[in-house]
Amino acid sequence: MEEKFARWNTLFLLYLKRDWKKIMVWVLGLGLFSAAYVPAFQEITKGQGLIGMYETLQNPAMVAMVGPTPVETAGEYTLGAMYSHEMLLFCGLFAMVISVLHVVSHTRKEEDLGLIEIVRSFQIGRQANSLATMLEVVFINVVLALFISSVMMSFGADTISVEGSFLFGASIGMAGIIGAGIALVMSQIMPASSGATGSALGITGLLYIIRAGTDVSNVDLSMMNPMGWTYLTYPFTENNWIPLIFAVIFSLIMMAVAFVLEGARDMGAGYLPEREGREKARRSLLSVRGLLIKINKGVMISWLITFIVMGAAYGSIYGDMQTFVESSEMVRQMFSDTGASLEESFTGTIMVVMIGLVSILPIVLVNKLFGEESRSRLSQLYATRVTRSRFYWTTIGLAIISGLGGILLAAGSLGGTAIATMGDKSTMGVMDFLAAGFNFSPAVLFFTGMAALALGWAPKLGKVVYIYLAYSFLINYFGGIIDLPEWFSKTAIQSWIPRLPLEDFDTVIFVMITVISISLMVIGFLGYKRRDLIEGA
Amino acid sequence: MPEIVNIKDLQKSFGKFQALSGMEFTVNAGEVVGFIGPNGAGKSTTIRILLGIIKRDAGTAEIFGKDVWKDSLEIHKRISYVPGDVTLWGNLTGGEIIDLFLKLHGRGDKQKRDYLIKRFELDPKKKAKGYSKGNRQKVGLIAALAAESDLYIFDEPTSGLDPLMEAIFQEEVEKLKQSGKSILLSSHILSEVERLADRVVIIRQGEIVESGSLDELRHLTRSTVTLTTEGDVAEMANVNGVYDFEQKHNQATFSADHKHLNDILREASRLGVKKFESVPPTLEDLFMRHYEG
Ligand SMILES: Nc1ncnc2c1ncn2[C@@H]1O[C@H](COP(=O)(O)OP(=O)(O)O)[C@@H](O)[C@H]1O
Ligand SMILES: [Mg+2]
Repeated sequence: MEEKFARWNTLFLLYLKRDWKKIMVWVLGLGLFSAAYVPAFQEITKGQGLIGMYETLQNPAMVAMVGPTPVETAGEYTLGAMYSHEMLLFCGLFAMVISVLHVVSHTRKEEDLGLIEIVRSFQIGRQANSLATMLEVVFINVVLALFISSVMMSFGADTISVEGSFLFGASIGMAGIIGAGIALVMSQIMPASSGATGSALGITGLLYIIRAGTDVSNVDLSMMNPMGWTYLTYPFTENNWIPLIFAVIFSLIMMAVAFVLEGARDMGAGYLPEREGREKARRSLLSVRGLLIKINKGVMISWLITFIVMGAAYGSIYGDMQTFVESSEMVRQMFSDTGASLEESFTGTIMVVMIGLVSILPIVLVNKLFGEESRSRLSQLYATRVTRSRFYWTTIGLAIISGLGGILLAAGSLGGTAIATMGDKSTMGVMDFLAAGFNFSPAVLFFTGMAALALGWAPKLGKVVYIYLAYSFLINYFGGIIDLPEWFSKTAIQSWIPRLPLEDFDTVIFVMITVISISLMVIGFLGYKRRDLIEGA
Repeated sequence: MPEIVNIKDLQKSFGKFQALSGMEFTVNAGEVVGFIGPNGAGKSTTIRILLGIIKRDAGTAEIFGKDVWKDSLEIHKRISYVPGDVTLWGNLTGGEIIDLFLKLHGRGDKQKRDYLIKRFELDPKKKAKGYSKGNRQKVGLIAALAAESDLYIFDEPTSGLDPLMEAIFQEEVEKLKQSGKSILLSSHILSEVERLADRVVIIRQGEIVESGSLDELRHLTRSTVTLTTEGDVAEMANVNGVYDFEQKHNQATFSADHKHLNDILREASRLGVKKFESVPPTLEDLFMRHYEG
């Protein structure tokens, strides 16, 4: 036992020293993002603000996104209650994702790169690296939790109590630790680091989507979900510490499982077997299109499955929606006032969220071509009679088809599940759902076009497109909760497009954004055709 | 069309850094040209310009009499290329990747592919992520050698190969040479180039240092000789063509000019040779020699 983990403490200190800048950014960035909006929320809640917010957040679409609140009347909805209701789940999700990325990059990725091999040749135990990394993540999340708590308390707001602040911070920190545990297990099972990251993030996403369903149908079921153990602590209202105990036990079990799995496998190997490959290529591989499909197949299939699952998860909420609304007089009031049917308003909101996710895939595919270029994998192919135009347009074509296919699957699965769960009560047909989805196809094309433009002129900026996507996603996400100024919300491309079926289809906007997006792709091509290819960057 | 490759006054800079300043050489039909220079000299940059992967700032660069940037497609139908560091898709097998390259090249020879796979002892069923550096290099070499081309461009092709495989590569290149193909072989290993090349172009910091046939350049090369004799080895110091003479007991170490090798050997055997070792000059020696004048 001792020997396996020998000198983990040396590594632990080394990692803290090596990562301190990253840790600073992590703690400050996520910490401030989680805690520093208290004054802004104080502003919103002036006057009737709290009551308005309470009503908005009773909408099942909102519950599916931000989670439930234990508060039953608008009068008890305090600043603290609202803050934890709107922020906690989302910040916890962030904490999980960052921890997942950190753990995989320090364990499986270093193993793939051969760095662990060097470390093990010193007097260091075989599993010391995993232990040190895990303790580093725990340490960072504890610091993060304390930082969040103290920032929140520092505002001295009435309903932001000391206990609540500690619980709020601890819940976010715990979310990070749960993510780290999942990542460490996946690092053992998967044959390479990309698979470990992908599957751990996939599990995180799945937990989020499952809880969206159970939050609307039956919150007790969310208590069976590891992600539920973070935001169901209800800081500032119920102050329930018990879920965190589950989370600690869960994380300890995950770590134990990971250490057992790691102890029993060879370095560089996983538990999922590697099959022997083909001696000769299949005909379907022998073209640029075949190659690009082959190297993107894994990522495409996993995203497309994600879209289907996501659609089905949100779709299953429709059946419970009616019951949910009828359970509260006030919510019923709200919906009968606006005249829109509940399904329609829910569809409009959820579609924006789904389109944000669907847009990731085409960006990934376009950026992949530069990834291949900079890893010099294409250099021998560039010297054949294949044109640059072939590489470029095949990639763009693949991205567009995946984007549109993503919409089809997401909207189709949302509609199919929704109609199935609602039975004959449904007022919307499958076509209505598809129309609501494809209505947003110009937005998906626009993100594809931005990525294409970057590929042609400044390929290193390809990653910035993700940042813009995340930005516009946040604008739309918070736009549903807080009233943003018109110009500000219009900086997100999706905001230009009316939300079907609540609003009417706008042909001019649809055509305009499509034309702009295609122009971006053409301009990108002009750059791609003439720029130096960058290898080894 | 005797000139297969023609480069004149080629310039390229990356930002402020001038990578090539006035590169100039030709490869004639049926000729093997060795392209040598230390790391960072600009060999790969020149080759990437020839392949249309990057664009030159100024100068002429032609292959088969066509502009390498504008007519790259026409050119690419008739060339094969192996980079110095072949990188592959981890989830494809070596066999699949070779087939893909050959298909995209357009003039692949299936039989030659199978023959080369055997010759280089490559396991084509293995996924590329399991390949060592040398095996990855073999995949690139097989793909290039199994394609029917008029010009073969190799950029430090044998890095990571063991000596046995290096020798097989050299034999294969010799076969190409005998069938009249033109070859541009970049390398920092002088011996490899010496064995294969008709002409050598030596560059450093983006400029030509020397170029000419190997015989013309022979005078540049000096080997390091370690010699132990029965007689007094000190007598060797005054022989023509012996430089940098150092002596320890009756063992001498010196640089021997190849022009005077005969004199040196005659003198050594007169003294009675007990031990004779000759190490060919490294590229660095060659440059030192060049700059000494
Ligand atoms: N894309 C690039 N950006 C900046 N500098 C480069 C780039 N490619 C090559 N260089 C520089 O140009 C010089 C020549 O490089 P290279 O042609 O690869 O040398 P060689 O192949 O002879 O070893 C080196 O100093 C290298 O750092
Ligand atoms: Mg090079």
